[in-house]
Order: sequence, then structure tokens, then C-alpha cells
Amino acid sequence: MTADDAELVALIDNELDEGSRAALLTRLGADERLRQRYEELRETASPLATSFDALLGQAPVARLRAALPPDEPLRQRSRRFPGIALRALAAGVVIGLLVAGAVAWAASIFGLLGGKEDWRTAIAEYTHLYTNETFSPFNPDAAMQAAELSAVGAKVGASLAPENVALPGLRFTTAFMLSYGDAPLGVIAYVDPSGAPVLLCILANRAPDAPTRSERRGDLSLAWWSRSGRTQLVIGRIPEEKAIALAQMLEKRV
Amino acid sequence: MSEASRREVRAGLEPSLARLWRYAVVLSRARDAADDLVQATCLRAIERADQFVPGTRVDRWLFAILRSIWLNEIRSQRIRQGGGLVDAADALTTDGEREIEVNITASAVLRAVGRLPEAQRETILLVYSEGYSYAEAAAALGVPIGTIMSRLAAGRAALAKLK
Repeated sequence: MTADDAELVALIDNELDEGSRAALLTRLGADERLRQRYEELRETASPLATSFDALLGQAPVARLRAALPPDEPLRQRSRRFPGIALRALAAGVVIGLLVAGAVAWAASIFGLLGGKEDWRTAIAEYTHLYTNETFSPFNPDAAMQAAELSAVGAKVGASLAPENVALPGLRFTTAFMLSYGDAPLGVIAYVDPSGAPVLLCILANRAPDAPTRSERRGDLSLAWWSRSGRTQLVIGRIPEEKAIALAQMLEKRV
Repeated sequence: MSEASRREVRAGLEPSLARLWRYAVVLSRARDAADDLVQATCLRAIERADQFVPGTRVDRWLFAILRSIWLNEIRSQRIRQGGGLVDAADALTTDGEREIEVNITASAVLRAVGRLPEAQRETILLVYSEGYSYAEAAAALGVPIGTIMSRLAAGRAALAKLK
């Protein structure tokens, strides 16, 4: 590769700006070796296109088509239930987990609860659905993390970014939106090294500021606090002290 | 998820399968990995159809998903398993049973492409076969246009040596 190759290739590909193009054409007119190199590079275009076309013909399309999941229209279940309802499915995990049927189960439970005050019960019931396999497969890159957090942050009125929701010993997997009654409910899902999920839930419920409190519900620990019109809840199968410690870390940053 | 997004993504999957597979082969240089990569891409696309903006290009959105899964999930897994990434240039060949002249040439070119670094292989495919402009390739791959230029030039210089 010569120092001029990049410009020569860009000229061949018609991607040079006018000034550079004119300058290079002038040089080509005066430099036979450059012209020769131009020709060598130009002659690679057609074999490349032909070769990639040949590769395309070998794609196992029938096998790939057979592996496509069945096409099922979206069901509008969420409107039937007054408790937690799907508002926006911002992450694939929600679809995989919920649309397959869990949403019907969860939403019916939450419907029976009345859906007014006890959102922690709703979240706890919901969290019982998650296993070590639910979120583990998700490993978004930094850009995807930022995009998911930004989208959720916009819905709940919080500034969310990878650096301010990072937690020690936990890996961010996904962020998505639910709603509780009429209040947007953002969920940020982490996993510990074993894959066990820990959630940070952010409910934009206009609650007055309140310090961190905690409780145990079965094998789940919950720690929550309210600030700036939002209630935040950390929940997972972790010791209660750990939930409180995580909540206190996040309280300073979110 | 809007039904419009879901329908558009769904409709775009099947026509894109062969091109997704080709992109996957060029990235992974392993045909078994390519099959898995395409299947994972289709599943992820269906799961995340709400993120697709109706009216934009489904194929390029699918390409971006495939690339993300390759970089974040499958490549690192294959490296950990010690397979697939070295001495795999022969995955980029044409069907040996049809060795008419064009395919012999194509096989030689694809082998040469297969020996290039991943970033060059990918850039060459996107620009010369998928019709990305330099600016579009730069945006898709998250690199400056100058990097696209040097990757293409390096790739074509290597192919020029085949003569």
C-alpha cells in the first residue's frame, strides 16, 4: 500500500471532494507511476463485487428461513389491567419474558391488588418471575447502555447514564419502561456474577421526599427512597443490608 | 411496541437473510457461527422492533444488530473457546463443485479478503457490496471517514497483489 492509495481509491469510488479530486487528477496527469497505481487499484473493484455476489449465492436461506420464529401479531393485553401495564417495550428481554404469557399472569395479579398504593408489592410479585437466566444474556455495549438509559430517563424525568447507575459487583444488562397505574415506571436490570437479577425501579409518582427505608418480602430485599417527585426502589434476592447500601449509593447519584 | 414497527421489521427479515449471512461470514469467517449470528440477529430484531423507526431501512438496522451481537457476544465467546478466528480464511470461498472460471477467481479474491483484518473485511463488504457511502460506513462502524479510506485502500492494495 502506498501513501497515495487511500486518495486513489476514493477517487475511483467517486468519494473525493472537488478540491482533492482536482488536485489528484492534476498529479495523475503528470505522474505515470501514479497512473499505473490508479489502474492497479481500479481493477480490483469488479472482482470484489463478483466475489461477494458469489458468496451471497451460498447463503443457506432455506435453513435460515425455517429458523425464523413464527409471526405473531402483537396482543394489546395491557389495557385490560389496572395495575402494572406495559407502556413501552424498550428491551427485548421484556418481550421474551412477558409477551409469552407472563404478562397476563402478572397483570392479573396486579389487577387484583387494586393498583393504588402498594407498588412495592406489584414489583415484588413481578421480580419473582425473574430467574438467573432472564437478564444474563444481555450484554449491551456502552452506546446501547447509554441509549437505553437515556430513553428510560426521559420517561421518568431523571438523568440516567451508565456512570451514575453503575453498581459495584453488578453488571448492567438492560433498561426498559413499564407503568404503574398512570405513573411511568423505569426498570434498570443488573445481574450479579451468578446471574441473579437486582433491579433499580424508578417510579415517577410525584411522591414527597422521603429517606431510605427497607423491608424483606419472602426471599427478596427491598430498599426505597423518594426524591424530586420520584420513588426509587432497589430489589433483589440479596441481604437487606446490601439493598440498603445499594440504595444509598444510588441516592447520591440518581 | 408499535404494530407498524413490528410489521416492517418482520417483513424485512426474510429478504435480508442471505445478505445478513454474508455479513456474518465476512465477520466471523466461520459458517457455523454465521448461521447462529443470523438467527440471533433475527430474534433480537423481533424483540426490539419497537426501537425500529418505520420508514427507515430495515436492512441496515438489521446489519447494526448483527454487528453488535458479533462484537459483544459471539466474537468474545469464540475467542474464549479458542476457535473460529484463526486459520479460518477458507470459510470465505465459493462452492468448489462449480469451478467455472468466475468462481475460481471469486474464490481467490474471497480468500484474499479472508486474510485481511476484520475491520478491513467488514468495510470492504459494506462499501463495495452493500452500497454504503464512505460517510454511511463511517457512521455505521463508528470511525472517521479517513479510517474508512485507509481500510478500503489497504484491502484493495492487498487484492491488487493477486494480479
